[in-house]
Amino acid sequence: MEFVQDLLTTFNFIVQGLWVTISVTAVALTTGVVIGIVLAIARVYGHPSLQVAVTVYSVVIRAVPVIVIIFILFFVISRYVNLSPFWAGALALGFASGAYQTEIFRGALQAVQPGQMIAARAIGMSRLQAIQSVVLPQALRLALPAWGNEATLVLKDSTLVFAVGVPEILRRAQQVSARTFEPFLAFGVALLLYLALTMITTQALRWLERRYRLHA
Amino acid sequence: MQKQTLIMLAFIAASLVMSACGGAPAAQPTQPAAQPTQPAAQPEGKLAQIRAAGKLIVGTSADYPPYESIDANGNFVGFDMDLIRAVGEKLGVEVEIRDMPFDSLIASLQEGKIDAVIAAMQATAEREEKVDFTIPYRMTKDAFIGAGNTTLTLNKPEDAAGLTIGAQTGTVQEGWIQKNLVATGLTPADKVFSYERADQAALDLASGRLQLVLMDAEPALELAKQNGLKVLLITEETAEGGKSIAIPEGASDLKAELDRIIQQLIDDGTVKQLQDKHGLP
Repeated sequence: MEFVQDLLTTFNFIVQGLWVTISVTAVALTTGVVIGIVLAIARVYGHPSLQVAVTVYSVVIRAVPVIVIIFILFFVISRYVNLSPFWAGALALGFASGAYQTEIFRGALQAVQPGQMIAARAIGMSRLQAIQSVVLPQALRLALPAWGNEATLVLKDSTLVFAVGVPEILRRAQQVSARTFEPFLAFGVALLLYLALTMITTQALRWLERRYRLHA
Repeated sequence: MQKQTLIMLAFIAASLVMSACGGAPAAQPTQPAAQPTQPAAQPEGKLAQIRAAGKLIVGTSADYPPYESIDANGNFVGFDMDLIRAVGEKLGVEVEIRDMPFDSLIASLQEGKIDAVIAAMQATAEREEKVDFTIPYRMTKDAFIGAGNTTLTLNKPEDAAGLTIGAQTGTVQEGWIQKNLVATGLTPADKVFSYERADQAALDLASGRLQLVLMDAEPALELAKQNGLKVLLITEETAEGGKSIAIPEGASDLKAELDRIIQQLIDDGTVKQLQDKHGLP
């Protein structure tokens, strides 16, 4: 009975970080999708100099640990732009994820048969129109499985934002653990919450994949 | 160790970005008055800014009972928390407490994200280079703790020579180990382990991966009681002075005012009363 009581208290405390974790992940993924799609299109169809610029972004950002990007945003960039810890952390994760998503969408764009682009151009579409209504819709479908993988990685990377003081699930678990000296219970609850979030994300993406599958 | 490397990387990257940006906004520095190169010449000091805002923003690392922790309702509790609220009352401003990792506190203070740090922190020479400290509000002692069934006995800190030992990253205790045990060759470097938090070190003590943990005496007593560990030695030799509030470098007006308030709180018995309340020796 006492265990149930402890579990409930611990859970009630840690679960308050759930919304923070979800918000950070949502902002990061949204930023990442926008960066990823735009840069992937630039990388595949853009001017050669643009392709080089995108490649540099992707290589550099993927080479730098995410926590360093968070520190740069919070301690350096926010001298010039007023960023709260939440936005510094979430956007840093978004920039990092954007580099990985660029590669995901680039692969997907390149996997669409070149003939599609040629055919679209042949019937009089501009390059932009062809990308928008022929290539991209197919590429996005192809990108979904890899994107789902990235989404779960970003969810777990969201624990890093505590470095600048954003109290997400894991930090709350640390706080309980420091107070009650029961790390197993505290981190167990955190584990269950992450497991639940990952399962929900995975299921939602599986549904999306089925919903938008092309029946060949 | 890894964490320190990361932070170093962050600063290298940061300075790169800054030097890169240095060229571009060259047209801007029309208001270099904001750079506190001569704090004395500043018309408005840190204290005046805090008074004007009506709020003192204080950073802490709330995983260190009985100094600072968060209770089940999400409130900051502990000796430091009560003390800083008492200080705020004397200052006539509201106190806003922000939780962040211990390692990020100094950087946040330097960058002006927070006005002060209270986190059972000691004024070491290394920290003094980056920030200023008030007079100590409490003198400290350290404790060596061992597993509950340990047969070790320590009579002086140097008796720890050669034993596997753990401490919290970036703390005075870790510095003492590096300087007095590792640098002197008494303990091989691979027998020293750094932890993000002291309670993690205590877990490794219980599981037998460590023979000793060196940490602040008061939380050590608490940890030992909770986890069935043995306190082997309580000493002042490894501690450097006392615990102080950290404030931005050059904020002389704030320092003078806080020093005065702390002395007052010590003299009128408030500090003693709070120590008793939180079971501190």
